[in-house]
Amino acid sequence: MTALVRAELLKLRTVKLPLWLLITTLALVALGVVATVLTAGTEGSPLQRDDPDLLARAVASASSGNVVVLILGILVLTQEFRFGTATPSFLVTPRRARVLVAKLIAIAATGVVFAVVSAVVAVALSAALIGLRGDPLTWDGTVLQVLLGVVLVMVLYGPIGIAVGALVRNQIAAVVGALAWMFIVEQLLVALLPEVGRWTPGGASTAVLQLGDVATTRGELLPVWGGALLLVAYAVVFSLVAARLTLRRDLT
Amino acid sequence: MATTVRLQGLTKRFGGTLAVDDLTATVHPGRVTGFLGPNGAGKTTTLRMLLGLVRPTSGTATFDGRPYEELVAPTREVGTLLEATGFHPGRSARDHLRVLATAADLPVRRTDEVLDQVGLTDAAGRKVGGFSLGMRQRLGLAASLLGDPPVLVLDEPANGLDPQGIRWLRGFLRGLAEQGRTVLVSSHVLPEVEQTADDVLVLAAGRLVRAGTLAELQSEGGGGTKVRTPDGERFVELLTAAGLPGRWLGPEELLVQAPPAVVGELAAEHGVVLHRLAEAAGGLEDVFLSLTGQVRP
Repeated sequence: MTALVRAELLKLRTVKLPLWLLITTLALVALGVVATVLTAGTEGSPLQRDDPDLLARAVASASSGNVVVLILGILVLTQEFRFGTATPSFLVTPRRARVLVAKLIAIAATGVVFAVVSAVVAVALSAALIGLRGDPLTWDGTVLQVLLGVVLVMVLYGPIGIAVGALVRNQIAAVVGALAWMFIVEQLLVALLPEVGRWTPGGASTAVLQLGDVATTRGELLPVWGGALLLVAYAVVFSLVAARLTLRRDLT
Repeated sequence: MATTVRLQGLTKRFGGTLAVDDLTATVHPGRVTGFLGPNGAGKTTTLRMLLGLVRPTSGTATFDGRPYEELVAPTREVGTLLEATGFHPGRSARDHLRVLATAADLPVRRTDEVLDQVGLTDAAGRKVGGFSLGMRQRLGLAASLLGDPPVLVLDEPANGLDPQGIRWLRGFLRGLAEQGRTVLVSSHVLPEVEQTADDVLVLAAGRLVRAGTLAELQSEGGGGTKVRTPDGERFVELLTAAGLPGRWLGPEELLVQAPPAVVGELAAEHGVVLHRLAEAAGGLEDVFLSLTGQVRP
């Protein structure tokens, strides 16, 4: 199994895509931090400039790359079929479940790397910006909890992406569908129908990041632990469905 | 080293189509076995069933009694080359092999050894996306050799190779068989097999229509008589009645396993018009075409 995970990580390291996606992630993180800090105290923002949670809120932008990790997961799986590399993969490892598990582990590990780099950038940039504006910086347990939430979210979105790739198979449809789901459907549900929205992966992530009262006007998201459990459940169920769909298929 | 490959009643049905129909055959070590058949005969499906990529509707395919899925270290036991599409275009040739070697738990130095064996050392660092079809085939062959396996299963390895490459491939395959390996090579290009294979399996419309040595098959093409007649259907009946079955080689053209004198006399006796009567020059191609029924009117 170690050999297979190493092979999957090597697959990721020997193409350019993950690096580009990491750069994209950092751009999203920076954008999120800047927007959070600079809008604090303005009319549309739920945060005051001296809000003790300002740093924690800004740092939560480190999870912005969840969509990028999701797309990486989708591409990792769909490209195997698109480029026909699934054939050599399954020839080397005829027990296909092992290949899939190795992929899930490799993408989760990649999620950790993305999360750590994002967290470093988010913390540094948030502290610098808040400091520059002369606002108070509050380093407390909330910041640490948010950072742990970031890692959890980033670890779980990759496996969900692999599962979406296995389900949809058509690369473009899977990517476009995932983007539309995350940026349109979930946003609307969380904002307008929180009683439904809190059960979506996006709602669960928002809960994990303790953004409940920020993301919705009514603060009707799940508690942190509930969001975490729900997100884990999504990743597990999706992965099992992916396994079922990928493993028995004829490769002609 | 020696591994025998056995196909036993192998059958695959895709929806309503019977792609491979009850195929039973043995592939022996130390020999190159040509797996012949026109495009669409079911060769690739058969090889993919042998390699556990396609699930047979019924029947088994084994390597010394074990199906591919049960091999402990498949890369060390069976080398495979399937169609030349299994590459990420953005990955270099060496990295492609490193990924496979890593997954198979093989020493990474094997990648440079096999690249050298197929003559790709100079292109090792280049992205596969820029490779010609011939180079991809060589890279595929390199991958098949990574585990130094006793069995090689190669689907149309000559595809995309230039004449020089085909000559190289021939020597390459002969060399592998001489080392005692079991080499199964599919092809729809006959001349390539004619100069390489020891044994042949001929597949037509999913059925095995001939299995034997190449020499046997070639001899069937010689010693007979080629006849061209506008009255072929009737002449075939007369020949069959006389115990001299004829096979169609083309519209109005037959190959009969008998000397020209016998065939000519039979025609004269029954007043059958002949446009041509000649000793068959022989050749695998005639036998192949008649076996696979490609020109039957």
